[in-house]
Amino acid sequence: MKRAKKITKQKNPAQTAFTRFMLVVAFFILWIGAIGVRLVHLQVNQSEWLRERAQDQRRDELKSRMLRGTIYDRSERALAMSVKVKSLYADPREIEDVEATAQDVAAALKIKPDQIAKDLREGKETNKRFVWLAQKLDEDAAHQLNKELETYDLKKFDTPKYKGLHWREEQKRSYPYKNLAAQIVGFSNADDIGQAGIEQSQEEILRGNVVKKWQDRDRLGRVYEEQEATREPPKDVVLTISHSIQYKVEQALEKGARASSAKSGMAIVLDPRNGEILAMANYPSFDPNRYTEFPTENYQNRAIQAIYSPGSVFKLITYGAALDSNLITADGMIDCSRGFIEVAGHRFNDPHATKTMSYVEAMAVSSNVAAIKTGMSLGKENFYLYAQKFGFGQPTGIELPAEARGLFRSPETWNGDSLASMSIGYEVGVTAMQMVSAYAAIANGGVRVKPHIIKEIRHSGGKPAFVSELTGTPIVSQDAARGLRKMLREVVVKGTAKRAQLNGYTSAGKTGTAWKYNAKLKRVDAGKFVSSFIGMAPAENPAVVILVVMDEPQGGARDGGQVSAPVFREIAEGILPEMNVVPDANYVQEDLTAQTIPSEIEEVVLPETENVNGIDAPKNESKKNVGKTAVSSSVKETKRIEIETKPEPKKESKSPNADKKLSKPAALNTDAKNKSSTERVKKKT
Amino acid sequence: MSKRKQSIKSKTQTARRDPIPWKYCFLTLVCGLMLVVGFFFAARSHFSSIDFGIKNSRLRKQIEELEADKRRLILSKEIALSPAEIKKAAKRIGLTEMTASNIEVYRPPVKEKSKTEKLIVEKPKLEFLEKSAPAKKEEKKPEVKIEKKLPETKEKSEKIKVQIARK
Repeated sequence: MKRAKKITKQKNPAQTAFTRFMLVVAFFILWIGAIGVRLVHLQVNQSEWLRERAQDQRRDELKSRMLRGTIYDRSERALAMSVKVKSLYADPREIEDVEATAQDVAAALKIKPDQIAKDLREGKETNKRFVWLAQKLDEDAAHQLNKELETYDLKKFDTPKYKGLHWREEQKRSYPYKNLAAQIVGFSNADDIGQAGIEQSQEEILRGNVVKKWQDRDRLGRVYEEQEATREPPKDVVLTISHSIQYKVEQALEKGARASSAKSGMAIVLDPRNGEILAMANYPSFDPNRYTEFPTENYQNRAIQAIYSPGSVFKLITYGAALDSNLITADGMIDCSRGFIEVAGHRFNDPHATKTMSYVEAMAVSSNVAAIKTGMSLGKENFYLYAQKFGFGQPTGIELPAEARGLFRSPETWNGDSLASMSIGYEVGVTAMQMVSAYAAIANGGVRVKPHIIKEIRHSGGKPAFVSELTGTPIVSQDAARGLRKMLREVVVKGTAKRAQLNGYTSAGKTGTAWKYNAKLKRVDAGKFVSSFIGMAPAENPAVVILVVMDEPQGGARDGGQVSAPVFREIAEGILPEMNVVPDANYVQEDLTAQTIPSEIEEVVLPETENVNGIDAPKNESKKNVGKTAVSSSVKETKRIEIETKPEPKKESKSPNADKKLSKPAALNTDAKNKSSTERVKKKT
Repeated sequence: MSKRKQSIKSKTQTARRDPIPWKYCFLTLVCGLMLVVGFFFAARSHFSSIDFGIKNSRLRKQIEELEADKRRLILSKEIALSPAEIKKAAKRIGLTEMTASNIEVYRPPVKEKSKTEKLIVEKPKLEFLEKSAPAKKEEKKPEVKIEKKLPETKEKSEKIKVQIARK
């Protein structure tokens, strides 16, 4: 028995080891089991709460808006672009020591601490959670400020030193070319919402989406994991305008407007072959970077929003319709020997029309009688139809906001002399864009191409999303267009637009001078004009159509041929070589004086609409307000204001105020003198 | 009986031969080691992933900053290349705008040179003649006089330009 006991004792070590091992295993199983149970408990019952707690500890949720799309010109130069900036704000509730914080922040911002302290104190008292301290600081300034406010003990290395101060990432819209094409590009407000121009019309394309970003941080505040919601980035817009042409046009327009002391001016350069607008300038302009500092009138893009009576430039439509209807030929003759015409008791005088002349000559001297007779031969319906074909009374469809449709009444509402008035460009309200589009149709062989200013819309990677397509509508026959170009050429060579003759290029065009309606006087104001010139160059195969309109030019010069034609010349001579247009003439312009240019005589017809003759955009375009020609004799006197054609002196500014008003003209005159003298030297040598 | 004794004997002999259960000890050690190594590797990969995450986020931030810098530089470039700025810079270095007054007239060689020069500076010459010495002497050295007067005309034109600019 004893031996048996010994044997069982001898068995024990192995068994003990096994038992111990099993105990350890059991312990581990129990431990893991307990952990498992706890885990299941946490996962099932407390998961939400724990997740939130964990995320609060380590995760930051950031919201940022994608940078707004860029606006480029045709040569890929950025006209408007956004950059990232930072703004510093405070949560006053979190700030413990308001005074110390205000002191330090003010020192860093280099401003007085009183205002900051006041704002913070007020915020704390009223339980505000947001007080701006510094807005839209660029990266360098923000970095510098952060450096002054940061502390190394702080957990989150990119947050300011004091509790309650936070950075907010924002974007700032910049317009590097400042005034250049300001009315086209427009501007966006502090919330980055487009307010004018392309910025407004293409808001949906340019506006960036809000993107959420989650950052996981470790205990030292270092980001170790980032997640970002994917959203489509905004697109970029490429315009048809060229920055250099735009600059030249703006300079020439400003110079011309200052020289004539015009209230405002506008110019458009359009490629008639494809309807691309190469430049669209307005004077006065504004800087979109500091738009609040300028009067709101300057924001208006008058070229598409302002309506004015075109005057003689509208005769192109009259003659164009007649030529296309085979009622006249360019070389055909018309009897204007009486020097006046009476229509429905309304006498239209015309001192230039004192003989029988060809239509080409009639256009050159801007004969009202010839135009009225031509218009009358067309008839109401036909005239209206052609005017509509040319695009009057409807917006051109350009991709800019608030385009006016103009004023063009249907024939049912016309008076007895309306057709005659419309034939010479009265009783109609047009926009500069409509006029230039009509002339472009003639330059393009009678085919009207829809004018457009957006060349391309593309994704941020450069892949095009939209490319503008050409849409052409034939308006008049090619022969009619050729005949009209011939007539327009004669205007420049022998007629009212001699100052539109170019060095090295042939040009064609038409001047227009229309009186403005004075709402206070309730009749046209003999001292206020809209002087315009629309021309094309080279005359045979036009590469550009240029419109120049001056509103209320002051001083001696008033005619479109004297005020606007020189601006056309400066623009054309500046841009045609840049466009690689081959010169087609060797003509060097001689000194022109007022005597050598036949001045335009306009028969003024009183429109009862306040703004028909005015360049200001009409407030109401309803038919009720459309101009009517009054029949009463008392009104008739005011309706017809005949301007005497006094031969103007060589020095154009003889009025006492002219020297005071015109600071630039003096300079321009000296330039002109110098130029003429050097040209004379050239010839002699 | 003898068989039973023998079996007991053999068992006691083996028990004596292997008093410590090395086999189980070894197994425990291996398991423990594996667990430790597993933990070690898991910890290592965890920390390295965090480290990579940190580096990654820093690089992302750097990319963002560089892109923002790039945009700022593009903006600066556009500002610098704007026609108005080019004009300012040109004025700063003394270049003037191309006008009729500052176009230099072509001077044909040798003989005709003096004629053209006379024509160019016609006015200054007259002024100079009015103010200074007898006409005969001047006729002898017309070129020198022209050269002296030229700066005056430049000054005048510059003054005019300054006046224009001020206005």
